[in-house]
Amino acid sequence: MELLDLKLLRDLKALKSQAFAVALVMACGLAMMIMTRSLIRSLDQARDGYYEKHRFAEVFAGLKRAPDSTREKLAAIPGVAAVETGVEVSVTLDLPDLLEPASGLINAVPDRRPTILNKLYLRRGNLLEGSSRLEVLVSEAFAEANALNPGDPIAAILNGRRLELRIAGIVLAPQYVFEARPGSALPDNKTFGIFWMREQELAEAFNLEGAFNTLALSLAPGASEPEVIAEVDRILEPYGGLGAYGRSEHPSNIRVDDEIRVLDGLSFGFPLVFLSVAAFMTHSVMSRQIALQREQIAILKAFGFANRTIAWHYIKFALLIVIVGTSLGTLGGFIFGLKLVDMYHLFFRFPRLEFVPATGAIIGALIASSAAALIGVAGAVLKVVKLSPAEAMRPEPPASFRPAIAERLGFSKWLTVSLRMALRNVERKPWQAIFTTVALAMATGILIIPNAFRDGVRHILDFQWDVVQRQTVTVSLVEPGPMRAAHDFSQLPGVVLAEPFRTVPIEMVSGQRSRRLALHGIVKDADLNRVMGQDNLPLQLEQSGLIISEALGDSLEVRPGDLVTINVLQGKRRSITIPIGGFSQDFAGIASFMELHALNRLLGEGDRITGAFISVAGGQWEAFLRELKETPQASGVVIKNAMRQSFRKTTAESIGLIQVIYSSFATIVAFGIVYNSARIALSERARELATLRVLGFSQGDVGSILVGELVVLAAIALPLGLWIGSGMASLLIQSINTETVRLPLVLSASNYAYATLVITLATAISALIACRKLNQLDLVGALKATE
Amino acid sequence: MTSPIPPAPDSSLVVARELSKTYGSGNAAVHALRGVNLDLPKGELVVLLGASGSGKSTLLNLIGGLDNPTGGSLHYRGWNVAQADEAGLTAYRRDVVGFVFQFYNLIASLTARENIGLITEVSRDPMSTDDALALVDLTNRANHFPAQLSGGEQQRVAIARAIAKRPELLLCDEPTGALDVKTGVLVLEAIQRINREIGTLTVVITHNAILAEMADRVFTMSDGRLELAKVNANPRPVGELAW
Ligand SMILES: Nc1ncnc2c1ncn2[C@@H]1O[C@H](COP(=O)(O)OP(=O)(O)OP(=O)(O)O)[C@@H](O)[C@H]1O
Ligand SMILES: [Mg+2]
Repeated sequence: MELLDLKLLRDLKALKSQAFAVALVMACGLAMMIMTRSLIRSLDQARDGYYEKHRFAEVFAGLKRAPDSTREKLAAIPGVAAVETGVEVSVTLDLPDLLEPASGLINAVPDRRPTILNKLYLRRGNLLEGSSRLEVLVSEAFAEANALNPGDPIAAILNGRRLELRIAGIVLAPQYVFEARPGSALPDNKTFGIFWMREQELAEAFNLEGAFNTLALSLAPGASEPEVIAEVDRILEPYGGLGAYGRSEHPSNIRVDDEIRVLDGLSFGFPLVFLSVAAFMTHSVMSRQIALQREQIAILKAFGFANRTIAWHYIKFALLIVIVGTSLGTLGGFIFGLKLVDMYHLFFRFPRLEFVPATGAIIGALIASSAAALIGVAGAVLKVVKLSPAEAMRPEPPASFRPAIAERLGFSKWLTVSLRMALRNVERKPWQAIFTTVALAMATGILIIPNAFRDGVRHILDFQWDVVQRQTVTVSLVEPGPMRAAHDFSQLPGVVLAEPFRTVPIEMVSGQRSRRLALHGIVKDADLNRVMGQDNLPLQLEQSGLIISEALGDSLEVRPGDLVTINVLQGKRRSITIPIGGFSQDFAGIASFMELHALNRLLGEGDRITGAFISVAGGQWEAFLRELKETPQASGVVIKNAMRQSFRKTTAESIGLIQVIYSSFATIVAFGIVYNSARIALSERARELATLRVLGFSQGDVGSILVGELVVLAAIALPLGLWIGSGMASLLIQSINTETVRLPLVLSASNYAYATLVITLATAISALIACRKLNQLDLVGALKATE
Repeated sequence: MTSPIPPAPDSSLVVARELSKTYGSGNAAVHALRGVNLDLPKGELVVLLGASGSGKSTLLNLIGGLDNPTGGSLHYRGWNVAQADEAGLTAYRRDVVGFVFQFYNLIASLTARENIGLITEVSRDPMSTDDALALVDLTNRANHFPAQLSGGEQQRVAIARAIAKRPELLLCDEPTGALDVKTGVLVLEAIQRINREIGTLTVVITHNAILAEMADRVFTMSDGRLELAKVNANPRPVGELAW
């Protein structure tokens, strides 16, 4: 049996470049799978460990203000294990190095009792020890973005009073793994941060002594979350409860879950395509190999080798490819996984995020690629088993051909001899031609997907922020103010236009489903922040119409025209049931919009606004910001370009890195497929082409016959591949789109051009290699071999 | 296409001097030809006999421009075949040489007529495909694919393909090796007829010594060396040979 293994190694050596191409395609698919599965495990473990150790709560609620005595009522709710109440207020900051005003949330650290839930993790410095006053803890993301260190001073405006604080420590908290402004799906770590102060000091500044305005609960095993939530809402109702919610609606938690969901989507579909391609390639290589070794197989059989032995011989050949592919794939998965883990540090703040290799996925990868290879080799091996030794000892009779359809239809005179050869070849083995075409189309298709990601991101970066949101900055007021406030803003230097808006927290209900979100009232013919419809045109907000994100519609299972109930969670807490006027086209988070006056009528508090969208002339930007910093009513400031930058740094960067990795893989695979097809074609035609050479055809002549076939197949495959790729991109983007970030399906000309270019180049290079091999062909040897 | 090969008024079409061919090197070297001297006059039918492995095919392949010698010289009409480049050899094979192989080597996807047409399309002064088929007596099988022809018929198509361009040199390596005697005779008759009618210098390798009778000149090879065995003043038609 050892000699048979020697044959195996020699065969493998002869086929090394093809075997390597197959292994490489396999490796690319596996690397993606192992990378994504490992990232999922890394995030999962980091999150679970963190949540557990730092006791991340399970039910959360915000409210206006409730006396501390309410705690006992909350603790008495059946199913509640622990109650943590606290104070959380917004703060405006004055950072000397930062031109724009920064803002944030300050949480209270209890003085007289230990924190029970959502415990802090200290990264550096200390946790407000001793009795020193005017100290804060700063979240790591904000500290890093603004280069803040323990001991640094920081000026904050608390409830209208400017306080000079000192940073005691840099911390993390399980409820802020992902740190973003409330209601925003995108982080903006430079101008928005989370802070912690002693409860005593904070309560004093905001007159919240003996009271709380946030609540976190953990549940006893077996408790019903919806029942607890309902009970909490009932208790907090008189205290201005903003609606309790579970982890599934917790913004930071959603973001982590969504990232895992994206990875989950990526870990399956795309690698599967690659593995199917690898299976196909294994099949074509092995079938060819077995066809070439017909006689050898027959001789082995005639000498008494069992079918099993011979079949196993060829299966081993395929398994060797699998071993190489899996090893390379694992290596690639680890390398790229480590890179991505490093990047996740940028926007997920865990005490520790370590790359955890998904051993299960590696075993799964081994099984998947073995399965792919075995499926690929099965048909070919079956042929071996069926081959009778006597039959194979005879040289294979010439294959039977007939005139091609085109000729039977009477087009013969227009067909050159080599074209006839090609057409008849295709007709004799239509499946092979179809398979090759499909493989080439797949090669084209997989190139479309990663670049569709890139174009989706670009579309968001350009279209959303330049066409949809035309304001330079969004300024919100400390508390709802009169219409006049917008006018005041327009007096600031450089302001071209200021459009008022009003935002209120609501709960939107349809049947059993409900979501808590912000309802934005905006002016009717908005010029700045516009609501875009499905056709990318601004929607006209009718007097009473309600526009919601399509993602919200999906979540509530409603369509335009359906009725939803809006429970306002503020002020008079009115409720209204109105039809959905339409869906808006947006890409991040969920939102709802009404015309400003209609909203104010609904709220019944008169014409009030909570902020304004402002466009500022370029030259006066700094003057504007300087003045704005001095405007006490302005609390939060969202600068569009900062958001865009943040999107670029987080979502765009992670998708960008994945896109680059996948695009490189797809390019490698495309080359592998095309090269393999060329080599198979060469192997099948070698004898015929050698004969033509002997008969006096030049290297160029026979080369063009070989290349002609490849080019024809590639030309058919190309448009097909662009079409398949578009479909796959659409499916994949749908599968990874989440509520936090939704990529639009953008299929750009440059995407198609890239795919076409790669396939054309791959075809040209493969054709060149095939032609070189053809030129090196030993004419005498090729004539001796009888196939 | 222009041919780099000048016509030379020489009675010997092919001249080889001290021609040698060694495969491999060192201990593994195989000396397939050890200094062959050969003069082949125009229009003759030459038979090459010899034991298996004696170097017959090697010599024929060198004459046909399929391979390069490792030593000595080889001239066709004074043109140095041994020193020719790839383009020269291609033109030589296209315009001068016709090959017939033991395993026919027809293009399976082309009919008999098209297999011949393939060659006539690129040659300078071809005969018509029908004439070529008539010479091998296969006019009625013109539109059949190789798979629809018997071995002998396939070999005759291969001969028609080889001679359709009116080559000056027809090289046949065991053309009847895969055929039974009766079919072999048909094939050899076709070769002989072409040699007589067109005056193509024809070299036939065979293991059948009886065929020596049909040749103008008979060579034998042994261990890479060539010897002129016999010159027939009156070669006999194939049909008359005693099998
Ligand atoms: N490619 C090659 N590499 C190494 N040795 C070779 C090669 N081709 C032929 N030979 C050797 O050269 C010698 C002559 O071979 P050749 O094919 O010319 O013999 P032949 O006379 O045609 O034999 P046969 O009658 O069996 O066809 C043989 O010993 C053979 O083993
Ligand atoms: Mg031979």
